[in-house]
Amino acid sequence: MMWLSGGFVFRRGESAYHQLDPRVKLLISILMFATTLLAKAVYEMGLVIAFMLAVATVATVLRRVARTMLLTATFSAFIFIVNILVTKNLETSSLYATRFVAIVVSTSLFFITTSPDELEQVMKTFRLPRDVVFAFVTAVRFIPVMMLDTVQIMDAQKSRGLELDKGNVFRRVRNMIPILIPLVVNSVIRSGELAEAMESRAYGAVPKPTSLVEYRASTRDRLVVLASIAFFVVVAYSFYFVPPLQLP
Amino acid sequence: MANVLEIEKLNFTYVDTWKKVVSDFDLAVPEEEVVVLAGPSGCGKSTLLRAVNGLIPHMYGGQYSGSVTVAGKSVKDTPMRDLAQTVGFLFQNPENQIFMFSVERDIAFGLENLGVPRPEMRKRVDEAISLLGIEHLAQRAPHELSDGQKQRVALAGVLAMRPRLVILDEPTSLLDPRTAAELVELVGRLRKETGATFVIVEHRLDLVTRVADRMVVMDRGAKVLDGTPSQVLFGDEAELYGIAVPAATRLQKLLAKDGAVGTDRLMGPEELAAETGRGKK
Repeated sequence: MMWLSGGFVFRRGESAYHQLDPRVKLLISILMFATTLLAKAVYEMGLVIAFMLAVATVATVLRRVARTMLLTATFSAFIFIVNILVTKNLETSSLYATRFVAIVVSTSLFFITTSPDELEQVMKTFRLPRDVVFAFVTAVRFIPVMMLDTVQIMDAQKSRGLELDKGNVFRRVRNMIPILIPLVVNSVIRSGELAEAMESRAYGAVPKPTSLVEYRASTRDRLVVLASIAFFVVVAYSFYFVPPLQLP
Repeated sequence: MANVLEIEKLNFTYVDTWKKVVSDFDLAVPEEEVVVLAGPSGCGKSTLLRAVNGLIPHMYGGQYSGSVTVAGKSVKDTPMRDLAQTVGFLFQNPENQIFMFSVERDIAFGLENLGVPRPEMRKRVDEAISLLGIEHLAQRAPHELSDGQKQRVALAGVLAMRPRLVILDEPTSLLDPRTAAELVELVGRLRKETGATFVIVEHRLDLVTRVADRMVVMDRGAKVLDGTPSQVLFGDEAELYGIAVPAATRLQKLLAKDGAVGTDRLMGPEELAAETGRGKK
């Protein structure tokens, strides 16, 4: 859980990359994601990852991305071993293992540089219903609150003698029940209070609510979009049509 | 002066329950008054507040009789979206009424919902921010705020809708003593600056009586005491209803027995000491 929060939770940043329109950042991540699917050799995947790390450096989040990469290594190793056992092919197995890392990095780059408010903006661009967008915003908004809740409940249950990290896997899973039940009950109560507060602030009063901030793509955003697409086309072409180098 | 809030013969029982939570409640609050509502837990305060802001009967069903009128609008017959602009409600836990990821956007939340055009919204958000003195918090995320700051942000969100009547439900219950005192002083200032009427449910009476004009005590759904804070607190009945009469007020009452001080108004500890000739003048 912690690696997830570290690798996917937004923290404010001042870099030029952070300043990009959220839709542009989404496009870049989608293009990077697509490139990972097109790469057919490990060295190509290596280039893709190197490029992503370069983007992470520009966005001043290299350290966090690197940590996420390290933490995905376990999964990546697992993928590698399973593939080796099934295909007995070193090349494909390492390709799949590195692809997994690349996919995680491409998505994490989007999420750690895009604030929830910007995510909301992206969702609005896709014309998702207001309720869906709002549910998402609230969910993200309450992640830190729920985490704090969880810690408090864990402490309370531990002080009453619950031994969380004792026993085999099944025992440990069962140990989570006294944590989960209060957490769910808390959340249900909280949602009732939220509903009251929403009603009191005219939620759903008009079909088309206005917005305090306006996101408008700047010239720089447009240029970045053009450059990204052009670069993607070149890379995709070379990955797809140029036969991979034969490693000695 | 016209009454902002008029409650007449209000009775309410929640759906699927038998207990009448509010019974034959009458109350009229004139403009710009600050009213403290007190009473033991479970006496129906929260239900009464819900009936004032429209959550009852629009969100909670039940047996409803009598009438509640806010700024000339009958609560029962006015949709929530109109009431939201008339009655502001600050809930007990500020955490659960901050929705957006930045303070500024959250203050705008109600206005966005109402479809207020952007320039007007900007103006009203900035106004609410400066009323509460939270300019430095405008860009923060909710989890970066202290409890006292959250309370202010939530209050700013309520005031941005420019309500005539503001309800505060135990606003200091999660705050430390100093922050609580600051919040109560803030209410005194806001009353002057916004001209709004305030109804506050509060247990810390020593704080809130500094700004209140009137005190209403509720017990088992009914109004049992109603008067100025000094009338209510110097009376003998308040303690019977479980009201925590502030220590200074109890002392003042004892001293008043030998005529050392008067009981026409509430005095703080310093004032009492000075009156009895023991304090530094």
